[in-house]
Amino acid sequence: MPSQLEIRNLHVRTEEREILRGVDLVVRHGELHALMGPNGSGKSTLANTVMGHPDYEVTDGEILFDGENITELAAHERAKLGLFLAFQYPVAIPGVSVANFLRLAINAQREEPIKVKEFGAQLRHAVELLDVEDAFTSRHLNDGFSGGEKKRAEVLQMAMLRPQIAVLDETDSGLDIDALRTVAEGVQKLHDDQHLGVLIITHYQRILDYVRPEFVHIMLDGRIVMNGGNELVERLEKEGYDRIREEVAARA
Amino acid sequence: MPEAAAPKPGAAREATLNATLGGRGAGGAPLGVLRERARIAYDAQELPRWRRSGFWQTSFEDLDLDSLEPRSHAPDPTLPAILTGQRSAGVLVQRDASVVHVELDPELAARGVILCSLEAAANEHGELFERYYMRRLLLDRHKLEAASAAFWSGGAFLYVPPGLQIAEPFQIVYEISAAGSAQYAHTLAIGDRGCELRLREYDLASGEIAGDALHAGQFELYLEDGARCRLAQLTDWGEGAVSDASTAVVEVGRDAYCHWLPALLGGRLIRHHDELVVAGQGGDMAFRGLFFSQGQEHLDVFAVDLHETGPSGGDVHWRGAATGSSQASFEGLIQINPGAQQTHTYLQFHSMMLSDTAKLDAIPSVLVSADDVSASHGGTVGALDESLIFYMQTRGLTRPQAVRVIVDGFFEPLIIQLDDPPLEQQIRERIGAKLTAAAEDIERYALAR
Repeated sequence: MPSQLEIRNLHVRTEEREILRGVDLVVRHGELHALMGPNGSGKSTLANTVMGHPDYEVTDGEILFDGENITELAAHERAKLGLFLAFQYPVAIPGVSVANFLRLAINAQREEPIKVKEFGAQLRHAVELLDVEDAFTSRHLNDGFSGGEKKRAEVLQMAMLRPQIAVLDETDSGLDIDALRTVAEGVQKLHDDQHLGVLIITHYQRILDYVRPEFVHIMLDGRIVMNGGNELVERLEKEGYDRIREEVAARA
Repeated sequence: MPEAAAPKPGAAREATLNATLGGRGAGGAPLGVLRERARIAYDAQELPRWRRSGFWQTSFEDLDLDSLEPRSHAPDPTLPAILTGQRSAGVLVQRDASVVHVELDPELAARGVILCSLEAAANEHGELFERYYMRRLLLDRHKLEAASAAFWSGGAFLYVPPGLQIAEPFQIVYEISAAGSAQYAHTLAIGDRGCELRLREYDLASGEIAGDALHAGQFELYLEDGARCRLAQLTDWGEGAVSDASTAVVEVGRDAYCHWLPALLGGRLIRHHDELVVAGQGGDMAFRGLFFSQGQEHLDVFAVDLHETGPSGGDVHWRGAATGSSQASFEGLIQINPGAQQTHTYLQFHSMMLSDTAKLDAIPSVLVSADDVSASHGGTVGALDESLIFYMQTRGLTRPQAVRVIVDGFFEPLIIQLDDPPLEQQIRERIGAKLTAAAEDIERYALAR
């Protein structure tokens, strides 16, 4: 059975307030999904909760991976199952090079440490995919990186760690057009070549010029209110979130 | 009646700092006279206590000196484990009170390099010995300093002649082998004009010392005009009850350079006074240091960057982490004497707290008596950043692994500058082992926040 991430009736709150109010979503290995919504609709909360961020409390519902309930698992255990989160704001890790960090992360998921040669080959492949200079991997992870470099580093890690399902949290934010294209094409290629299951979370349709989601979901006020295909993206572009909000309100 | 002038702010503090500096040193007299002077100071003084502003003190008053004594050993041809597989220009090992092993690359000996016990140097190289011995060190600031100056045995002497450039390191090991040992250590090293050398000193316990032991060390290194040295000292007395009160002075001559890194990685009670003196025009230095305290350890570092003449350069950068219920204090002093014009120096200290019961203080001081200089200091106080830990967990690292990465990364900027892979590896491994031992503490701290 191909891997799948299943989110059932998920309710999540932070210390301040309830943010997710019953989210249902299934992302299978090999599928490319886009989750769109305005600021504050709960998109990033969903991404962080799927990955097990300790600041978000699941008050109802559950998250399943390959049928196993992972709602209570720690983040590193979810990573080992094959889940990946590309951060909206990746943090800097001073003193640790990109290459060394990748080696640590890969070895954390294996019994035997990866062979130097194998690691080198994988790294070269990923470096080409993300169109970064070789020297990039000797720099300290995200330390002094530009916005574009940080997002490239996220997708580079994704390429190296080979997850089953990846959640990309606003990976397109703060990118110039060249960086956006490289990052988006990298994601598309990982999807095409490795059958990576992808959930792209975004506010804008911009990134969707370069990746072709098969499933599009719209989130408003902590719920997914609309599911469809690429036509939803075009509709959003023309009408904006307000029209959809009105339509949802009328439906209720 | 005119009012008495208000005292200058900080005057008392300034006087205290000045009184602690080595300055000219006690040397210039025969060894017997210096030993006798030190013995009188030893008899006259009580065990030391350093106090600072009421909120910090380091006390050796509980040390039972009568229960400790110098222990002698026969020569030992085997190298200490820490040196296995390493290339060296020369090795000297002192176990407790005795030098048990000396070896020097014969080619270097033929070119005039001297590596021998300090006792031997006093007899066989009298002229060099008298010119340098205690040129910058004092012998009566506190009882343990006096004890070291009066009672040292064995000791290490290194002389590198002018112009010689040596790539492999000289390695000096002071080992404490058992409880009850009093080790009075003294290293005298000289880099003559234009030479280049690397020197490592290890202060280590062989196994766990179950009971009190003492290391009272004095270290002096003189770099003559144009000499360059990379000096590293690794101190790890383990989890036993070793107390360590030591002083080290490095003098940098005209156009000379020293990169110095003490790594203080363990000891129940440590007081180190490390002083780097730029004494010649164009002298420059990078003074690095790191420490990691754990358990019930108490660590007190006084690091001095002293400029006697200018132009000269200084760059002091220390980092320290504390876990368990340990207490660590870093006091850094930049002092620029009158006449040290066009000196540029910077002092920075960064700390990382790894427990809520640990204590970590940093006190920078700047005393400037010249007007055409730049001297400043900066620092950061940090704790474990949960956002970093979560980030790494999402990449599959466990929490302890993520903590290790953060702490390694914290020290790495200093370690990598050693430019000495075997030593870098030793320091990383020791820090790693300490983190593993402190994992529960660190976890509790994280959950409490």
